[in-house]
Amino acid sequence: MVEYLYFVISLLSVLGGASLLLLLTHREGDDLYRLNHISVLFLVVALFAALMQWNLGTRGYLLEGLFGKVLYIDDFALLFDTMFITGTIMTLLINTEYFANRRYFNGEYFALILFSLFGMMLLAHSHELVTAFIALEIASLSVYALVGYHKNNLVSIEAMMKYFTLGSIGGILFLLGSVIIFAATGSTELGAIAQYTHKGSADLTPVIIGATFIMIAVMFKIGAVPFHAWVLDVYEGAPFPVTMFMASTFKIAIFAIALRLYIVDFVPMHGTWTHLLELMAALTMLGGSWLAITQKSLKRMLAGSSIVHSGYMLIAITSIGLGSNIAASAIIFYLIAYFVSSVGAFGILSFISATSRKELTYDDFKGFSERRPYMAAMMAVFMLSLAGFPSTIGFLGKFYIFTAAIESGEFFLAGLGIAMAFVSVYYYFKLIAMIYFYPNKEPQKELVFNSSTLLIILLAAVVVLGGMGSGLIPYMPSADGFIDIATAAVGALGTPLR
Amino acid sequence: MIGLSHYLIISGILFAIGLVGVLRRKNLLMLFFATEIMLNAANVAFAAVSNYYHDLTGQMFAFFIIAVAASEVAVGLGLLIVLYKKFGTLDLDDLASMKG
Repeated sequence: MVEYLYFVISLLSVLGGASLLLLLTHREGDDLYRLNHISVLFLVVALFAALMQWNLGTRGYLLEGLFGKVLYIDDFALLFDTMFITGTIMTLLINTEYFANRRYFNGEYFALILFSLFGMMLLAHSHELVTAFIALEIASLSVYALVGYHKNNLVSIEAMMKYFTLGSIGGILFLLGSVIIFAATGSTELGAIAQYTHKGSADLTPVIIGATFIMIAVMFKIGAVPFHAWVLDVYEGAPFPVTMFMASTFKIAIFAIALRLYIVDFVPMHGTWTHLLELMAALTMLGGSWLAITQKSLKRMLAGSSIVHSGYMLIAITSIGLGSNIAASAIIFYLIAYFVSSVGAFGILSFISATSRKELTYDDFKGFSERRPYMAAMMAVFMLSLAGFPSTIGFLGKFYIFTAAIESGEFFLAGLGIAMAFVSVYYYFKLIAMIYFYPNKEPQKELVFNSSTLLIILLAAVVVLGGMGSGLIPYMPSADGFIDIATAAVGALGTPLR
Repeated sequence: MIGLSHYLIISGILFAIGLVGVLRRKNLLMLFFATEIMLNAANVAFAAVSNYYHDLTGQMFAFFIIAVAASEVAVGLGLLIVLYKKFGTLDLDDLASMKG
């Protein structure tokens, strides 16, 4: 029993940290810096515990004597754990100044973020549908409360209202799908479902209906186009650190369970969804691009562009269904690429807005290169990566996705994706143009250098390194390293039983 | 004899009532009621299926779902109080201010 605790150190550390922070919180006069350091301490322990187990080939049920077969550990779950914890550490450390300058933040913010992280990690480890639902709700409920954290700001409350109503419907659809699958297969455990669906003789119609409900819930959470109505308003209304947390970390969380289900359990049903997924991928890319082009506020532009990125991932999901070999690792690589770039882009935005109250628009960045030359260069790197410019990690991410699409014969989707990548150059490069080609009007401020700037530099370095081959710089993990990580994570999911 | 299908039909009807409520109701409190009805439709189905397979796990899930529903209501009612203090109404048409 005790020796199995080794595998749950990261989960326990996050849960323990969240509970401790809840106890340390008072209504007034919390020392936010101290609470921030305590939460980061717990997260660093969790991160090391997760990294220690990476690539040891660990596979098995977590605490089977206690929970049965509901929690599972493998490299796939560990990769997602690592990304979630890294994202949360970045969110907490980059925004140190932001919440120090806002009166409405108190200690509960850290407890809520850690509980949300715990829910996401549980989601990555869950190997059973109702556990996944509960984990999803733990993560979502904390994020709902975080979105409405600025409770004197009408926009913030309205964003929470929209997110809460639509998000809970998404959760219910997931649950409904689980019930139908439970009724059809007699179990909600993923291994048992996989055995049922791969049997060959079984009637799959009820399972397909249930699985479709689950897919719709997933589309709700990633903001694919018929279900995208909430994305822009929620991202705009939420406080900046929360937007950063949602856009980078929470967005990839749902993929943990969706990919596990789609790559292992739903393999025999892939054919039924091909046309639906093709349509949704095309609509998501077109709709997201339209939304991103028309925005003036940078927060809303990035929200729109995150919908486009969901569209690219939907292309990869379609290719998995058509039997492409590299599509599964392509989507994991894309998740890593999107994660790093969006954490960086949102990090810079919230770092800048820490000291100013106004909403950031394109115009606010005029002459930014004169005010903060290094920060401007890094913003340009993140924008290039999000647009998919060569020599950044974002380029390789798109390259693999389109290769997988062409390999599986999805020429139209690949062409549309490339066209939309060109369109995205418009709204990303507009920001770069604002930064570099307009005169500076605001007075020069003193350049600060602290942990936030250091972390942003680190992220920019990862973005550039991830876009280069290993041959260029010896002894440094770069693009090939990330591809190995993605392949190892997909390999851990195992070949489906046939 | 009342069998599994009867329970599932009841569950389906409950779910449909909840869905119509979510789509049609303009009052936020009623909208939250409707989502609760949908969650309970899933509960009924879980309990019925679990009885059909002579397997207690489904009934156990129903308890977990009740707990999740309760915590959702806790967050939701907190939101309602803040909204009512700020806007003085819970009508959805008066609450939307963000456009585009």
